[in-house]
Amino acid sequence: MDFEWAPEEAEFRHDLKTFLEAELPENFDAFAMEPDEQKAFSKAFAVKLAEKRWLTPAWPKEYGGLAQGPWQQLILSEEMVAHGEPRTAQYMCVNWVGPALILAGNEEQKAYHLSRISRGDVVWCQGFSEPGAGSDLAALRTKATWDGSEYVIEGEKVWTSYADTADFCFLLARTDPDARKHHGISIFLVPTDAPGLTISEIPSIFSAGTFNQCVFDGVRAPEAWRLGPENGGWPIIRQLLVNERVGVARFRRAAETLDRAAEAAREAGLLADPVIAQALAMARAACEAARVLIYRVVDQRAKGEAPEETAYVYRVATIRAERAVYEATVQVEGSGALLKGSFGAQQFGHALASGVATGTLEMQLNLIARDVIGGGRK
Amino acid sequence: MDMQLNELQQQISDACGKILERRAGPGRARALRAAGDFDRLLLTEMAEAGFLDLFGEPEAGPLVAALITQWGAQAAALAPIGIRGLVAPSVIHGDLPEVIAIAEQGAMGAVRYGAEADMLIVLDGDEARVARRGEFKAETIKSKFGYPIARITEAKGEALAPGAGAIARRWWRVAIAAEISGSARGAVDLTIRYMGDRVQFDRPIATYQALQHRIVECHVSTDAATWATREAAFRGAPVELAATAAIIASEAAHRVFFETHQLTGAMGFTTEYDLHLYTMRLQTLRLEMQGLRAHARDLIDARWSAAS
Repeated sequence: MDFEWAPEEAEFRHDLKTFLEAELPENFDAFAMEPDEQKAFSKAFAVKLAEKRWLTPAWPKEYGGLAQGPWQQLILSEEMVAHGEPRTAQYMCVNWVGPALILAGNEEQKAYHLSRISRGDVVWCQGFSEPGAGSDLAALRTKATWDGSEYVIEGEKVWTSYADTADFCFLLARTDPDARKHHGISIFLVPTDAPGLTISEIPSIFSAGTFNQCVFDGVRAPEAWRLGPENGGWPIIRQLLVNERVGVARFRRAAETLDRAAEAAREAGLLADPVIAQALAMARAACEAARVLIYRVVDQRAKGEAPEETAYVYRVATIRAERAVYEATVQVEGSGALLKGSFGAQQFGHALASGVATGTLEMQLNLIARDVIGGGRK
Repeated sequence: MDMQLNELQQQISDACGKILERRAGPGRARALRAAGDFDRLLLTEMAEAGFLDLFGEPEAGPLVAALITQWGAQAAALAPIGIRGLVAPSVIHGDLPEVIAIAEQGAMGAVRYGAEADMLIVLDGDEARVARRGEFKAETIKSKFGYPIARITEAKGEALAPGAGAIARRWWRVAIAAEISGSARGAVDLTIRYMGDRVQFDRPIATYQALQHRIVECHVSTDAATWATREAAFRGAPVELAATAAIIASEAAHRVFFETHQLTGAMGFTTEYDLHLYTMRLQTLRLEMQGLRAHARDLIDARWSAAS
């Protein structure tokens, strides 16, 4: 057991920081941009990253990556989010859409999609949740019915981030309505301009464009759009959702927000206030707890193991960190935290969404319980 | 980075585990508490095996000293393993007695192992002094909170090197966090077993989701304290990381205390059942060094008080 970064990892972090500090304005935050502006920015920035092969460094070299390991992936994520996540939606393409294609795509799909993702030339959204399928994702009812020449997709997806700006949707649909629910699901790679697909915004308490509804009304999907075997989508998704759950170093972004809020508190002479001091300290500790807990997840991946319980523990710690940082920002800012552009207003969405998006807090707790109570803790 | 024990660490874990299995455990802790005693025999055996003198060993170092403190606490060992193995060697070089206590000037009303100690380290701001037996006076206080406690009424002693108080304070925090994380793990594991055995409404209470979530939240807090402690020890207990580990551990102590007792019901209130042997200590540990208030202040000062 040791906590020392390898020299090449430290060098990678240093190079990344140097690059990002040179390329981005101070306190840059891509999530503060309007959706169209954000998409244009992230596309342009992804090209710069792609030139250095830092957009997809974890991918195998044959697909344009650097075959970097999980520790470098963590460093990349930490530094990107620490600098305002200039990749925005690209992280999803890179972290799990690409790996899904590498895992299950045919040669044509790989050639077309992987080259676009690795150039930063494309945005994806994930068509997972439905009105009746949230935590119980496998209860999804969107169906893709083979009519002899093509699939015909009917159904509705909701809460779909980036659908309004995405070029493709990574869609889960039921291809065998008679199979047990985890067994009849297939994956489709659907262009968002496909006839019959209507995307509209769902107004929300978050910033504009956060949520979308995708209605599939007789969308015709050729077989070439299907990723992996028919009815074989679930094992692929299960494997890749771990990437989704730990792929974003949320704790680092939260910690950056906290640092800026603490700096504001210091300038205002508020650090001696016991309530503010405790809120700041607890939030910092919560961010640090999440940071150290992700190490176990990354360590397992680096050793070729498939992390489960440790990943869920990390997710719970992350949710706590997001909420603790929100609490600290509102203690520092008071009612100023209600105003657009405040630390509190920035953190509000992260604090609220982290316990729901990419698997609810309750699902993480259930999954941990399965391991620590169910089969006995290892 | 490597989160698994290396070969040497594993060997130490195995050997130390055998001693703890033979010498420690809740039954031994209960007997010692009933007799108003503590586990000098265990300390002696660990010292003879070299497990209390690994802090300065390059191959083992403070991380292994912290691990041993965690393992000891998880085994309900009733002995100041962390102070002896992790704190004292950070400021005192050379031979150390087995039983060492630590206190802060101005806050010596409730000192763990104060009456049993062969040596007392007294922190006074950034400075520290060490008082050997005969150079300090301690009055035993009856306490239900898991450890022998004493009031220090007088402490003379010899000044340690300049700045020793600041150094010892950092390692004391790591030692507290290590003991909390080990004790909390003992309490959580025991409660999980209890939940599997305890049947209400014809089902083990471990099958109720509402209760599962509560113990799982304890598990998460305990994991966080465990790993934050290990990292802080590995990195040499810098002020910020040491304070952070202590804060994370304080949160775990608070949560685990109330939740494991809640989940165990009235059985947890009895001295016959083992839970109190872990949980009552958590109260003492989370208040040591003035607790969260002081940990938070040092973290704030270290991280944010200077202009960036």
